[in-house]
Amino acid sequence: MTAPADTPPLASAPSLESARRLVRRGWALTLLALAAAAGVYLLALAFTPLEVRQGAAQKIFYIHVPAAWAAMMAFSLVGLVSILYLWLKDPRLDRFAASSAEVGVVFSLVMLTTGPIWGKPIWGTWWTWDARLTLTLFLFFLFAGYLALRAALHDPAERARFSAVVGIMGLLLVPFVHLSVYLFRTLHPQPVVLKPSAPSLPGEMLRTLLVSVAVFTLLYVGLVTLRYGLALVEELREELRRDSAERWEGAR
Amino acid sequence: MQMPPQNQEYMIAAYVVAAAIYLGYALVLWRKGRRLLR
Repeated sequence: MTAPADTPPLASAPSLESARRLVRRGWALTLLALAAAAGVYLLALAFTPLEVRQGAAQKIFYIHVPAAWAAMMAFSLVGLVSILYLWLKDPRLDRFAASSAEVGVVFSLVMLTTGPIWGKPIWGTWWTWDARLTLTLFLFFLFAGYLALRAALHDPAERARFSAVVGIMGLLLVPFVHLSVYLFRTLHPQPVVLKPSAPSLPGEMLRTLLVSVAVFTLLYVGLVTLRYGLALVEELREELRRDSAERWEGAR
Repeated sequence: MQMPPQNQEYMIAAYVVAAAIYLGYALVLWRKGRRLLR
């Protein structure tokens, strides 16, 4: 929505400069997280002991689990923020949900590719249609559909409302994905950290996993900040373009 | 003593694929930013 040409902009309205600042902050966090991720690679590959039954393939765990954690966090936040959007109709919530969904799809792509690469040497197959894997794939498709829906709708209010409903559907699926290893007979290993009893990992492996989770959470924050800033810049530029087109029409 | 299985190539493949996805997405955002902020 645009204000008439003679109305001063609201003091609280975001400016192009504040959007640019957000993009710069997003880049700083993303680059910091990517540098820390290089450290995680080194820690996992060179300073974490080898698991004797699975061999080197077990180390895939240190990138697979943090990607799964970040993806589930991203999709849960999309759902929660979408509930708030339907209540408050604040465009910042919609912008955040869209950014978190896109970043969540990237993390789930990492989860869905590193999982089968681990499965081949350990299970003897790239993929099996068990409950955890199938539900995770559904969740990925649901959020890929969420992004496709957003790209197809041009009215901002309609786009925000429809995609909020899809985001809430995704939130409902997240607990099933986590609990599927308890609810169904599945090949997928049970949680080793996020479970009612104490973590069942040796100290050095647990340390590497926790460092990796922290680093990939930071990467999520950086990428979402960056994506949010870029979405804001895009909206403000579109608004400016529409304003100048209206002024041009008015002057004719 | 049990010897661990030799499957380093899967570990390397997974780490390379993950890095390619993260860096690829960062590159997509960088290009988008360049287009929007020029």
